[in-house]
Amino acid sequence: MIELEDVWKVFGSDEWAVLTEARRAEPDAAVLKRLRAVVGVGGASLSVGKGELVCLMGLSGSGKSTLVRLINRLLEPSAGKVRIDGGDILSLRPKALRELRARRIGMVFQSHALLAHLSVRDNVALPLEILGAARTQREDRADELLGRVGLEGLGDWRVDALSGGMQQRVGLARALAADPDILLMDEPFSALDPLIRHDLQTKFMALSRELGKTTVFVTHDVDEAFRIADRVVLMRAGRIAQAGTAGELVSRPADDYVRRFVANARLPAARDDPPAKARAIA
Amino acid sequence: MNDRSARDEAVDRFAGVSSAYYREAFRKIGARRGYVPSFNVAAALLGPVWLGGRRLWSAFWPFLIADLLAVVLIAFALAGGAGSELGARADRLEALAATRHSEANAANGRDATSAIAKSLTRSAAALEQAARDARRAAEDARDGAFLIVVLGGGLVAVARLGTGALANHMAERRFREWRLAGDPDKAGFSLPHAAGAAFLLAVFIPVIAFHFGNRALFDAFPSEPAWNSAAAAWLDNAITAMSGAVAPAATALTRAINTMLGLMEAVLTQTPWPVVMAVILAIAWQLAGFRIFLLTFFAISYLALLGYWEKSMQTVALLGTAALISITIGIPLGVLCGYRRRVAAVVRSLLDFMQTMPAFVYLIPVIALFGIGKPSGIIATIIFGIPPVVRLTALGITSVPASVREAAVAFGASRRFILFKVDLPTAAPSIMAGISQTILMCLSMVVIAALIGAKGLGEDVLHALQYAAQGQGLLAGLAILLCAIVLDRVVQGRQSR
Repeated sequence: MIELEDVWKVFGSDEWAVLTEARRAEPDAAVLKRLRAVVGVGGASLSVGKGELVCLMGLSGSGKSTLVRLINRLLEPSAGKVRIDGGDILSLRPKALRELRARRIGMVFQSHALLAHLSVRDNVALPLEILGAARTQREDRADELLGRVGLEGLGDWRVDALSGGMQQRVGLARALAADPDILLMDEPFSALDPLIRHDLQTKFMALSRELGKTTVFVTHDVDEAFRIADRVVLMRAGRIAQAGTAGELVSRPADDYVRRFVANARLPAARDDPPAKARAIA
Repeated sequence: MNDRSARDEAVDRFAGVSSAYYREAFRKIGARRGYVPSFNVAAALLGPVWLGGRRLWSAFWPFLIADLLAVVLIAFALAGGAGSELGARADRLEALAATRHSEANAANGRDATSAIAKSLTRSAAALEQAARDARRAAEDARDGAFLIVVLGGGLVAVARLGTGALANHMAERRFREWRLAGDPDKAGFSLPHAAGAAFLLAVFIPVIAFHFGNRALFDAFPSEPAWNSAAAAWLDNAITAMSGAVAPAATALTRAINTMLGLMEAVLTQTPWPVVMAVILAIAWQLAGFRIFLLTFFAISYLALLGYWEKSMQTVALLGTAALISITIGIPLGVLCGYRRRVAAVVRSLLDFMQTMPAFVYLIPVIALFGIGKPSGIIATIIFGIPPVVRLTALGITSVPASVREAAVAFGASRRFILFKVDLPTAAPSIMAGISQTILMCLSMVVIAALIGAKGLGEDVLHALQYAAQGQGLLAGLAILLCAIVLDRVVQGRQSR
């Protein structure tokens, strides 16, 4: 479904020079410093199956938010291949890229990123407005989704009158508005307090199971990742340290860093849901 | 213990000379919060030279200026101050009075009752009185000179005491900076720096003393009037050439503005007044609610009853045209500035120029290009009025959160969608504030616009100014103010409350 192949994203005064240096077997730290280089993502390869929920996990600055933005080209990869359903994203013309983003990819942001001048309903309907849908159609769809996320009847409210948790649900409803088959979630629950976070995780898992969207979910919270993910990808300094199920990361950590990272995590007691692949086929 | 000795060692290296003194002084300063009394005698005696030697140049300049000011005061007073000029005048008057007196005596000896004798006596008495007054003024000035000497001396004393009292604190702060920077080269008392400071004093003080001994040399800067007139002549030619070159464009622009203004004026002044008033009141109610409706009603009553109706409509037409053009140009320009930082830098300096340049100055080229009349008034008004809407639109666009824009991109929004559905609505409050500011700026120009032939309320104020008719001027000014308030409130609409 989503395939990333040796994808790089570097920042610096000269992106090409940084990339060349960073890709050497032994990069010269002095050269990188002179170029003011930051390696956001370094040679990441990853594939996400249809209906699978993959968590990108890591500390702040580990490149997980950068990586998720390479999937819909909010950031332009410095090198590598990004494919969705086998189609190369990087060769898309602007119009085709907008079309892909609008129809197939929904995204949720940590900062909500809702439009303050619009009502809750109009915020949810934004992707449909971008697609040029008629007003009644957008509003019906928005109201339906507000019901889905437990905000029925709040369509006419101003977004800044809602609590943080409610705003994030509006963000989720907006991501689902165009019925995309891919969901990108950039630390959606990180800014919420623990009780509301847990509650939203539960709701999201139920919704996810029901809708079967292919999801890439960014989080720095091990417990959150282990709780909701089919597969966890642990990132460190722009590179993928290990990818596998929660059980694999705990029982067979690839190195010491992974072992320390997952040391205090709670493993979900038993996953009662069927594995992702089975779910997708069903 | 170890830490303390490391610190002491650093102080030794920093101080260079008399390090034991600074070790103690810095320890005392560091031991307590707030100001710790600590007086540095060397600094008090040497003043600016000490500050220079210790490389405290930012403190050096204010204390140097204090010293020089004191020297100027003392030298001025010692040279006689204002007293010497007044004294010379008294001498002249006394001599004149004496001669007049002897003339009067001679005339009295011939014929005490003659008109000439009487007038000479009166004149002599008047001159004597004037001489006495001048003498008294000179003596007052001499007493004043003593006061000035005391003031100058006091200034030096205060400056030196201040240097002494602050010296160790400034040195301690510099010590901490020096330690943080880890720059062991710039430590100690620098003789070259002290010499530099002393050199500045040694140059300026004799110059001041010389000036008060002999006023001829430094009284006025030797300016070059020929350069001034040459530059002015060059500018004259340039403006003439330019007005010739752009004449067709200027004519076209003038015609366009005239058409627009004529249309506005026709609507506002040719329509019967009851209709115009009713429409304005209806718009006020619709856009801004009942309170602004009442305000508008009051304003219209004032304008109509005191006979300003016609003129205020002319003013509104002029201003409306200027504001409309300003906004039509200003918002797109502001958006462009919001997106392109380099454009913004250029435009910002241009706007600073437009706002800082006194309106009377840019009237000159405007008149040269567009002639006297309403279009010139409108163009001058636009130049003055356009900056706020550009600035505040740019501010609004740049303060749209990046995350909101990113979200729109993630959902496949085109640039046009982002501009019209994300950026402009989010920036709307800022843009509205800019529009309101622009309208008010335009209104403040109506008097100046009247100066070059724009009719309306500004003309009344101008007349009042020319004939010192205070009452008329204030009434017309209040009429302008009311127009401004009503326009601003109606344009702001309901959202401002």
